[in-house]
Amino acid sequence: MKVLNRITADFDNTINDNNEIVKNIRIDNFNEFKKTGIPTSKEEFWKYTDPSIVNKSEFSLGIPNNIEDNAFDIIIVNGKLIQKSDKVQIADVQIGLEENILEISDFNKTNNPFINLNNAFLAEGCVINFEPNSEKEIKVLNIVDNEKSEQIIHPRIIVKAGKNSNISMLEEIRFLGKKKNLVNSVTNFYLEEGANVEHIIIDDFSEETYQISNVLVRQKKDSAFSSYNYSNAKNLTRKDFIVELKDRGSHCDLRGIYLADNDNHIDHHTIIEHEKEHCTSNELYKGILSGKSTGVFNGRIHVHNEGQKTDAIQSNQNILLSDNAIIHTKPELEIYADDVKCTHGATVGQLDEKGIFYLRTRGIKKKEAQKMMMRAYVGEVLSGIKNDETRNDLLEKIIRNIPDGE
Amino acid sequence: MLKIENLHASVEETSILKGINLEVNAGETHAIMGPNGSGKSTLAQVLAGHEDYEVDEGSVEYLGKDLLELDVDERACEGIFLAFQYPVELPGVNNTYFLKSALNAQRKHRGESEIDAMDFMDIISDKIKLLNLKDSLLKRPVNEGFSGGEKKRNEIFQMAVLEPKLALLDETDSGLDIDALKIVANGVNSMKNEKKATIVVTHYQRLLNYIVPDFVHVIVDGKIVKSGDKTLALELEEKGYEEVIKESKN
Repeated sequence: MKVLNRITADFDNTINDNNEIVKNIRIDNFNEFKKTGIPTSKEEFWKYTDPSIVNKSEFSLGIPNNIEDNAFDIIIVNGKLIQKSDKVQIADVQIGLEENILEISDFNKTNNPFINLNNAFLAEGCVINFEPNSEKEIKVLNIVDNEKSEQIIHPRIIVKAGKNSNISMLEEIRFLGKKKNLVNSVTNFYLEEGANVEHIIIDDFSEETYQISNVLVRQKKDSAFSSYNYSNAKNLTRKDFIVELKDRGSHCDLRGIYLADNDNHIDHHTIIEHEKEHCTSNELYKGILSGKSTGVFNGRIHVHNEGQKTDAIQSNQNILLSDNAIIHTKPELEIYADDVKCTHGATVGQLDEKGIFYLRTRGIKKKEAQKMMMRAYVGEVLSGIKNDETRNDLLEKIIRNIPDGE
Repeated sequence: MLKIENLHASVEETSILKGINLEVNAGETHAIMGPNGSGKSTLAQVLAGHEDYEVDEGSVEYLGKDLLELDVDERACEGIFLAFQYPVELPGVNNTYFLKSALNAQRKHRGESEIDAMDFMDIISDKIKLLNLKDSLLKRPVNEGFSGGEKKRNEIFQMAVLEPKLALLDETDSGLDIDALKIVANGVNSMKNEKKATIVVTHYQRLLNYIVPDFVHVIVDGKIVKSGDKTLALELEEKGYEEVIKESKN
C-alpha cells in the first residue's frame, strides 16, 4: 500500500518539528491510525463510499504557499494558517495547547481512522477563540493548492465560542491547481453556555479531489448551532457531522445542499446525540443529482436515557435529474427516552410537476417555471442564513452550478 | 370566442371526455354542471392544456386559433385563465414575485414592456381590496399556509391582476363559506364585460345565484346531455341529476 508508506514517511519526517505535547498527541493518534489503516466499504459505516480507492495513489504531504486575500479574516493554505486578522484571537494548535485554549483531551483517539489521522498531523491547524459575549462575523478561506504532485492535507480548524457569544463563520473551500488531492479535514466547534454559532460552508470541489471531512460539534446548555453546508461534488466526497447536545436546552440546525453530476459521489453522514433533556434538532438536507452520480444521506439521531422532551426533526429530499443517478437515503433513530418527539422523512423524485403546471397556467414559460421551482427548493435550505447578502450570493452560486439533466 | 367540437380526451388510456360540443361567445357566462366523475373538471384541465390528458379526437378553436396546438403558458398568454379547484402551494415562491413574473410573461408575449414597479404595486393594492385579502399574503409563498378560502380568493385575485379573456373557474365555490362566496362572486362579476367570457364548472347551484350564467350545460359521462338557461340549474338543484338526466333521455 503505497499510500500508507508515504504517509508514514511524512509522519516520521515531521514529528520532531513539534513540542512534546503535540508530539505525544501525534504519536498516539498515528499508532491508532496504523492499527486500522484506511477503511474499506466492507465496514457498515463506509458501505456506500469506499475510501480505500485512495490506496492506489501516492499522496505526499502538501506544502503551503503564501496567498493573500483581504476579503477574508483567516486564510489557511493546505492546512497551514497563513493570514489572520486581529478581529478575534487566532493561533495555531501548538500555541493553543501551550496557552490552555485547548486541552490535550480534545485530541483523544477516536474510532474514526480519518480523525485519528488528522490528529496525527496536528500542529499547523488553527484555533479561533471567541470571547464570552462577543458578537463576530468572520470569513475563512480554506485553500487547497496543488500544482506539483498528488498530495494529502489535513486541515484543522477549532472554534471555541465563549459563553453567550454570537458568531457567524463563513468558510469557503477553494481549489487551486490541477493535481489530485486527498483532503482530510476536521473542524471542531465548542459552544459554551448560551453561545450561538452559524457556520456556512461553501464547497466547490476540484475535479481531482477525494475529500473526507468531519465536523464535530459539542454544545453546552442553551447553545445553538446552525450549519449550512453546500457541497458541489466533483469526485468523491464524504462528509460527517457529529453534534453532541451535551446539556439541556441546546439546539442544532443542520442544513445542506449537495449537487453531483457525471460519475461523482457524495456521501453525508450526520449524527446528532441528544444527551440531555429539552434539546432540539432540525435537519434538512436536499440533493440534486444528475448523470451517473451517486448520493448518500445517512442521518442518525440518538436520544440517550436522559434525553426526555427531545424534539428532533429530520428530512432528506432528493431530485434526480437523470435516470442513472442514484441516491441511498437512510434515517437511523435510536431512542432510549420515552417522552420524545422524533420525525423523519425522505423523498426522491423530480421537481414538483403540479407546481410547474400551476406556474405555466399563469403564462410563465416552462424553463422559467422550472427555475423558479428549483430556486424555491434550494432557497428553503438557506432561508435561515442571517446575512441577506451571504444568503443571496450563495443561492445564486448554487443555481448557477446545478447540473443539466442527463 | 371558443368553439369545441366533438372533443374526446383520456388520461392513461381511460376515456373521460367522449364528444363535447360547446360554443362560447364573448360576453357570455356558461355554467358546466354534472355529477362527480362526469368529466367537467377534465374539460377545464384540457382547455388549460394539462399534459396528463391526451386529446384523442375533435378540435378546439379559440379566437381563431387551434387551441390544442398551444402550450400551457401560451394559452395563458393568449388570455385563458384556470382558477384551480385545488390551488397548488409553492413553498419558497414569493406571491408578489410570482404575480409579477406572470404578468410580465404575458406582457412580453403581447409585445409590451415590463411593468413599472410602481404601476404594479398600484394594480396589486387595487385588486387585493376587491378580494378582501390581507396585504401580508403578498409577502408569503404562493398559497402556502393559506386557508381554503384564502386560496380560492387568491385565484380570483390573480385573475383580476392578469385580466384574462376567457376565465375557467373550476369548482371555485367548494370550501367557501357564504361570505367568501359573495366576495369571490363579486370579484368575478366586476371583471365581466362584453369582450370576456367565463366558464364556471360547479357541482352545486349555489354559486350560480351570485355568478348568474347565460347558459347551463349538464355533462354526464363525458358528454353534454342537456343545455338550457339559468333555470336548468334550479331544476337540477330541485330534482337532482339523476331525475333530470332520465327526463332528457325520454
